Amino acid sequence: MSAITTERPSGTHASSAARRPSRWHAPPQEGVAAVLTTACTMVALVSLWVAAQALLLSGVSHDRAQAVLYQELRTQLADTTAPYGPVIPAGDPVALISIPAIGVAEVVVEGTASGDTLVGPGHLRSSVLPGQVGSSYVYGRAGTYGAPFADIAELQAGDVIDVVTAQGETSFTVLGVRRDGDPKPAAPGADVARLSLVSVEGQGRLAALSADTTIFVDAEAPDGFPAPSGRPTTVPDPEKVLATDPGALPLLALCLALLLALTLGVVAARQRWSAALVWVMASPLVIALAWMTTDTVMRLLPNVI
Amino acid sequence: MTCPRALATALAGTAVMAFVALGASIPAEAGSAVVATATPAAPADGFQATRTVERTFTEADGSVATVSSHQVTVRADHTQNLRGRERVLVSWSGAQPSGGRASNPFGENGLQQEYPVVVMQCRGTDDPTLPAARQLRPETCWTASVAQRSQTLRSTSEASWVHDVHNTEADKQRVSGIDPIPADECPSADIAPYFTHLTEFAAVNGTVYPACDADSMPPEAAVGAAFPAAELSAFTDENGTGEVQFEVRSDVENESLGCNDDVACSIVVIPISGISCDQASTPTTLGDRSCRKLGRFAPGSSNFANDGIDLAVGPALWWSESNWRNRFTIPISFGLPPDTCDVLDSRAPTGFYGSELLAQAALQWSPAYCLNKARFKFQLNQLSDVAGFNLMLSGEGAAAVVSSVHENVGADPVAYAPTAVTGFAIGYVIDRPGNAGEYTQLRMNARLLAKLLTQSYLGSDLGRGHPGMSGNPLSIVTDPEFVALNPGLTSTNQEAAATVLSLSNSSDVIEQVTEYIAADADAMAFVNGEPDPSGMVVNPEYVGLSLPTPEVPLLDTYVPETQNTCRQANPSVYFSQLAAPVTTMRKIAEALLDAWPNVQTRCDFDLSTQQFKTGRIERQSYGSRFMLGIVSLGDLERYGLRSAALKVGDAAFVGPTGRGLANAISLTQQTRKRGPFVLDQADVSSARNAYPGTMVVYTAAKTRGLDPETARKVAQFIRVSTTEGQEQGSGNGQLPAGYLPISRTGATAGLYASAQAVADAVEAQDPPETDPPTPVDPPVDPVDEPGTSAPPGAGIGGVPDLVLPDLEPPATDAVGQVPASGVPVAGEVPPAGLLATASTESETSAVAGSLFPVLLLVGFLGLMAATGSRFFVRRPEVPA
Repeated sequence: MSAITTERPSGTHASSAARRPSRWHAPPQEGVAAVLTTACTMVALVSLWVAAQALLLSGVSHDRAQAVLYQELRTQLADTTAPYGPVIPAGDPVALISIPAIGVAEVVVEGTASGDTLVGPGHLRSSVLPGQVGSSYVYGRAGTYGAPFADIAELQAGDVIDVVTAQGETSFTVLGVRRDGDPKPAAPGADVARLSLVSVEGQGRLAALSADTTIFVDAEAPDGFPAPSGRPTTVPDPEKVLATDPGALPLLALCLALLLALTLGVVAARQRWSAALVWVMASPLVIALAWMTTDTVMRLLPNVI
Repeated sequence: MTCPRALATALAGTAVMAFVALGASIPAEAGSAVVATATPAAPADGFQATRTVERTFTEADGSVATVSSHQVTVRADHTQNLRGRERVLVSWSGAQPSGGRASNPFGENGLQQEYPVVVMQCRGTDDPTLPAARQLRPETCWTASVAQRSQTLRSTSEASWVHDVHNTEADKQRVSGIDPIPADECPSADIAPYFTHLTEFAAVNGTVYPACDADSMPPEAAVGAAFPAAELSAFTDENGTGEVQFEVRSDVENESLGCNDDVACSIVVIPISGISCDQASTPTTLGDRSCRKLGRFAPGSSNFANDGIDLAVGPALWWSESNWRNRFTIPISFGLPPDTCDVLDSRAPTGFYGSELLAQAALQWSPAYCLNKARFKFQLNQLSDVAGFNLMLSGEGAAAVVSSVHENVGADPVAYAPTAVTGFAIGYVIDRPGNAGEYTQLRMNARLLAKLLTQSYLGSDLGRGHPGMSGNPLSIVTDPEFVALNPGLTSTNQEAAATVLSLSNSSDVIEQVTEYIAADADAMAFVNGEPDPSGMVVNPEYVGLSLPTPEVPLLDTYVPETQNTCRQANPSVYFSQLAAPVTTMRKIAEALLDAWPNVQTRCDFDLSTQQFKTGRIERQSYGSRFMLGIVSLGDLERYGLRSAALKVGDAAFVGPTGRGLANAISLTQQTRKRGPFVLDQADVSSARNAYPGTMVVYTAAKTRGLDPETARKVAQFIRVSTTEGQEQGSGNGQLPAGYLPISRTGATAGLYASAQAVADAVEAQDPPETDPPTPVDPPVDPVDEPGTSAPPGAGIGGVPDLVLPDLEPPATDAVGQVPASGVPVAGEVPPAGLLATASTESETSAVAGSLFPVLLLVGFLGLMAATGSRFFVRRPEVPA
């Protein structure tokens, strides 16, 4: 991102602008004005890019990841090698969840850290898998990366949630939506499989943009599959609801360093090659790096937004 | 606890009730006026007997001359419900003064003494009405070596027993004891003209060991057996008195001897006064003359060189009738073994988890629960305090046993019921130089403890290379500060004197030890890098160590450079080997009992295997023992260890006496209702009469979220343990020594009242309105605590997992959103009322809500500013 703008104050550019004056490039700005303009442009670019990618473009990567995960899970189900617990590596697909009422069909991955929910809804690792006896929790994003759980607040009691796991298909019936202050349902009885979808919702006009409060949708199936024992009793902090994953910081530092290196490369290239050539060569690299950086930044943000 | 228990129990006999309330089970301070005037009466649990011990010679003309006659009185301080390795104080007066004192009186090392008092443990009792199998005889008395029980191939001048006037004709034969001697087992026991007497050993299972050489002894008597010899030949001072701490062995330690709660045993005390000789022949023979010997050593003299003695007055012939008939038999009984409840009660135990401080009390308490069908099966599982507390929070433990306040990371309120008053002590075993016996008045201060715990003594020349403290003393015995407090001790350095054996894991005990250090300005100045008056500095690795702390870390990384090939091949951190902390205080107590420091600096080459051997150093030799360790008061009393008096204030030293504990309890303050009683070390310092190591052990349990069954058990435990569990004694359900009883009146009245209130609250499981608002928030959504959402049967086989819960507080900042245990124990369906009122609590995240609006706003503002700056900051110039 920064590479696009940094070229402007460079000397070679100024000389070419002198030969070919235009409204924007004619007077080479200097001093405070140049710094201010560049800084504002930079801030605008960074902010808008992050917002645009998180809200719009991330859907693309989510769809791509879902396609890959679906293939993987489909193969494993056919081979009967799909995992059913108790300990599954984070990021592996574990279930296929479909909610016809709101048009959701997603592959659920193991783990609820910010990085895991980028590709699809995540299963809380200390709970049983969906469909097993006990309480299962699935966290999904409400606004970014495909926003699979954006509409779960619209679910009504009686709606159906179908889940396919290694142990078979389970059809859950929604009990209702729970918000702050609502009574909690009693603990599930014997043989009952409970599934709770967890996401966030916002209020007011900007509800879609400012989802910040957790919301729960509980569903039950009368006959659950047996759950293997030996699950972890707790999960690391980054996997709790609305938690962030500080473990992404080193990776972010690497991405930013690469961006900086790319900027310097562009400056150097601009000395030798024409602007058109540099644009053609640098643009894909810049977009790819910016994309990667934003993905990393998203890991530092709450896991269900 | 330097004062013998006999005095304490004698005190009880004086029926000074106020004193009893202060806790007479813990010995009263020595030198108090009451002690001085107390008449020595036989204590209820103890033993006292007097008899006349005579030695006679029958002359050639048939006349009988009495050579010596002593009125000997033997006492024992407690004899009932003993446990394995418990030590009994045996004392005597009026005995013949001993001579040729050995440096080590135990086992065969003590044989080269004259007129000693033999103390040993034998199976059976001395009751003529009992069947023979349960009678005590020399063959059922335990010795750890052959030389102590059998005399093989002795010359005429040595075989004094054949001239014993009290021996039967059979025993006066050249070969006696076993008839005939088994030739296959003892091929070389019978060689004319030498004399042999075998005292076989009859094991409890019927096996008879002929005891003619080391191979024909019971397995527990093998060379290098697990336990050192307990029987000893004790020394009588010139005024005729003496005392020993005699360690009894149960069938756990000594299976062949086989003493337990079923098999009665005795401590046998034999004051050796010499063989009474039969009629001398004319002219007197060599044997007659040797039998009549009176000893080579003057009373009170020493025999460090292990010179030969006159056997007729030595301890090796204790079994000969002249000596054996003078025995004092102290009947002892053993308590129920520790596994009683597992054997006799098939119910599933209810686990309480936590502090080892309660261990000795729990040992006596648990049979009172499991053998009573109206009660539950109590089981104390020892864990570090914080681990126990977290198990309780997570619902896997019914209650925690802790001794300080712990952070409540759960949502349910936790109440602390005072259950026992005890504490820690700096235990020690130190011999005075010149074979003058044990040192009994150790005094320590906070800075000395800080020096030991920060590894600031060098240990040996290996430590001299440590950067930054090469001028420090090698060990505490050459530290001028220690010498000033404890004059007259040896100044010979040894590695064990450079450290205090401590705990390696997190513990409230270490927290309190370091609180004591932290309250002392001099000690903290030392820890923070200031040299002490003698110029000693703290180990640079420990400068600024944050105190108090529940766990003193091993921070040193110094690996000495040495020419020693073993150390070159096995480089290791020297100071960590010196400290070598252990996991339980019980191990520390046993190390002190055996005088076997846990210093791991041994490194030598084994020629037979061509390999290096590293590990623990040898047991310390008797007479030059020096070892310090942090022990619980319960262990201290059980094993008869000694404890240091700790400095409080400017000049006062207070030991762990009943009065010191009671004074400390009266200084404690309860900061909140049903909370713990906090002892401020600054108060201890200004009060000058309170013991700084006093600790209250609490039963901590949730007052909400426990299922009714568990809540009832916990409440029952609190009530029983604070009432009948506070009666002092050694029986089932009683309070052992080392604990200050909690009573309705006196210094502990507050503890008693609080315990009853907590018991009611735990049983009711009804959170009061007056509790602080944050912990009484309704249980949060199970999402926050996935561990509790486990389905029935999550625990493997119904046994609670010992996986420790996540100790970290949750990342969320919202109060009340902490991992909750609102959902009851796994496997239990919660009472309907509990969850019906529970409501969902949403979490909100400011970041989540404002991220995108702010991003977009900033983005557009930036765009506008960048565009606008072209127009407003510097107007574009229109080209001319």
